[in-house]
Amino acid sequence: MPLELKQVQITRRGEALFAPVSLNISPGETATVMGASGCGKSTLLSAICGSLSRGFTLRGEILLKGRAINAIPMERRNIGILFQDDLLFPHMSIGSNLAFALPAGMVRHQREKKVTHALNQAGLEGFEDRDPATLSGGQRARVSLLRTLLANPGALLLDEPFSRLDQGLKGQIRAFLFAQVKKMNIPALLVTHDPGDMAEGPLIDLTTHR
Amino acid sequence: MTFTPQKRPLKSPTGISKFLLVFPGIVFFTFLATVGAGLLGTWLPSLGYLPAMGKTALTLHPWTELFKHPALGGAVRSTLISGWGIALGAFLLSGLLFAMNYGSRTWRVMEKMLAPILSVPHAAFAIGLSFLISPGGWLVRMVSPELTGFDLPPDWVIPKDPHGISLMIALILKETPFLILVMAGALQQIDYSATMAVGRSLGYRPAQVRLKIILPQLFPHMRLSLYAVIAYSLSVVDMSMILGPTTPPTLPVLVVQWFNDPMPDARLMGAAGATLLLGMVLGSLFLAYLLEKAATALFKWRMANGKRETLLSPMAPVGRTLLMGGMTVFILAMVILVLWSFTWRWQFPDILPERWSFRFWEKSIHALGPPMVKTLLIGLASTIAGLVLTIGCLEYESTLLEPHAANRYKKYMSIIYLPLLLPQVAFIFGVQMMLTWFHLDASATGLVWSHLIFVLPYLFLTLGSTYRSFDRRIMTTATLLSGSPMKAFLKVKLPMLLRPILFSFAVGFSVSVAQYIPTLFIGAGRFSTITTEVVALAGGSDRRVAAVYALYQQLIPMGIYLLAIFVPKLMFMNRKLMQR
Repeated sequence: MPLELKQVQITRRGEALFAPVSLNISPGETATVMGASGCGKSTLLSAICGSLSRGFTLRGEILLKGRAINAIPMERRNIGILFQDDLLFPHMSIGSNLAFALPAGMVRHQREKKVTHALNQAGLEGFEDRDPATLSGGQRARVSLLRTLLANPGALLLDEPFSRLDQGLKGQIRAFLFAQVKKMNIPALLVTHDPGDMAEGPLIDLTTHR
Repeated sequence: MTFTPQKRPLKSPTGISKFLLVFPGIVFFTFLATVGAGLLGTWLPSLGYLPAMGKTALTLHPWTELFKHPALGGAVRSTLISGWGIALGAFLLSGLLFAMNYGSRTWRVMEKMLAPILSVPHAAFAIGLSFLISPGGWLVRMVSPELTGFDLPPDWVIPKDPHGISLMIALILKETPFLILVMAGALQQIDYSATMAVGRSLGYRPAQVRLKIILPQLFPHMRLSLYAVIAYSLSVVDMSMILGPTTPPTLPVLVVQWFNDPMPDARLMGAAGATLLLGMVLGSLFLAYLLEKAATALFKWRMANGKRETLLSPMAPVGRTLLMGGMTVFILAMVILVLWSFTWRWQFPDILPERWSFRFWEKSIHALGPPMVKTLLIGLASTIAGLVLTIGCLEYESTLLEPHAANRYKKYMSIIYLPLLLPQVAFIFGVQMMLTWFHLDASATGLVWSHLIFVLPYLFLTLGSTYRSFDRRIMTTATLLSGSPMKAFLKVKLPMLLRPILFSFAVGFSVSVAQYIPTLFIGAGRFSTITTEVVALAGGSDRRVAAVYALYQQLIPMGIYLLAIFVPKLMFMNRKLMQR
């Protein structure tokens, strides 16, 4: 179930942000898009997940599981996204934050079990009722990733997810993230300006890419 | 180019901080004194103590009289029903409309109309609305006699219906835009687009993300304004006199009638009634607090139940219709005032006047000169004084670098919101008594002071967050360059904040223009402003005169708002970053 970009290009007032990009990301693989700030790499991610702002135009085709998703509203695309900020919902407990991502229809008991299971697996036992504000940066990053994965996405987008973490944590979260992508066997696309963040999959440098 | 060394040494920040402490000091103690004395000056008469009228014996007599009064039961009932109906209606409507329609084209049109809508004084809107919905009003005329068969106005009791429905609808229409404005301000505190992207990428429809994720985060920023809406809805006088029930009227109107009674005993009973109203408002605020707690517990689980679909998305057209409808009512209420103001003869059921005339405008220029000048002077004086105090207080706050100290300071300063959370009639009588001791009753100083008390909280509300988020490094740079914090403040900070300051000025000014109760009580009948004239005329039989006066009341704040928008635009015409 790969994520494919075919000649994807974004224009603003008729001007292209970068040359057309083609990419084929296999399940379990993480591709990297590199580039200096302002080169349009975050805009590319918003085009893929469907949150492109007014004024930008998308050309080319984006396919998930062989299906073109250009015209599908964001909430139906089944694509998860992680930002550099963890964006945990401050009015909900850690448990509710995670339960929010689970599909509807399960009874409460089942939901709680799934949440507990996810927390245990990430080394966050007993965090269900904690206030997000009381967690460390690394813990928050892990919860944020867990939340994205619990929605069972068909692909994962990563918008500089390590840039707010210090060096020691970075390696830890990176390893955890790539392991999860492999385990869930979904394609992932990482966007960064830091060569140290690079994943093992295909690489495109938007600054030099022609 | 030569480099001139700094001539004077920089003043130490602690010295400046000590000087600025004067502003919060003045505000804190005068607010404390005014509200405290105002409440005490109402409580004592309610226990029979009013030396100014020769009453010195402490007794519960005013209270027993109050509870025996035949009008009390009906007044309390209609006050509670309309008050809670308005508060709940405006709160639910603003929240649901936001969830359903935020970001749509209709919403963006509505956002552009918010400032003019909010600038319409309550009394003027009430008159315009009554010209629309009354039995002989424009709406009935539009469909008569073709659809209704009416050749004469029907004998419906609208407005002033005994259950306060007209009052309720009018105030929901007026308070919903206010809450939406507060919401728009709170929205700047959170990262809306990123939160939206996270919620939607988890599979939630936009309306559902706004309902479950955005609104709960906005609520803490809206709480104070919602409480103010509750207090206001329960204690409104001017609008209730124009649209509310009459036999009996709502409690605050009844209280004002008793206060204006020449018999000392009626005034003592009025003081008891005012205190009862205070109890009703405080009880309602406590109930609102409990409801919030209950709702939080109730929805805690439901928020995370995973339901992605909602009735809200298919209901978006309903929300759009409501938004359009609300805006249309405001426009029609203004148009009908303009029509009536130029009318000479207009018979039922004609849609338009039969004969037009400028006569009532011509006459008004003569009659309205003095009240107009008074309105403008009182408004200018109270708003300018209020702005100086507000900026002084906010500037002092910006010298508190420690978050702990800043929080403690903010806690003390929240006293300035008290006048918004208490019924005006519950302490303005006491303020009047207090001013009598200082021989300031019925003086311009006393009147400006009484307006200032209601203007200042709005200045803080509108200016506070922009002022606080001003980049501290700009002031540091400017101070180091100019060698004078005062120069940095006057030449850099104030001009950069000119737009929000002028907007805040416009809000404060229109609050002053719309004041009815303080003008009536503190002015003691010697100061008639445009608002007291409008309320007095609303009860009269001549719609044409009432329309002219209501338009004056509406045009003054609107003019000030326009100035507030265009002056900075003109001043910074060639400065792109200052335009938005």
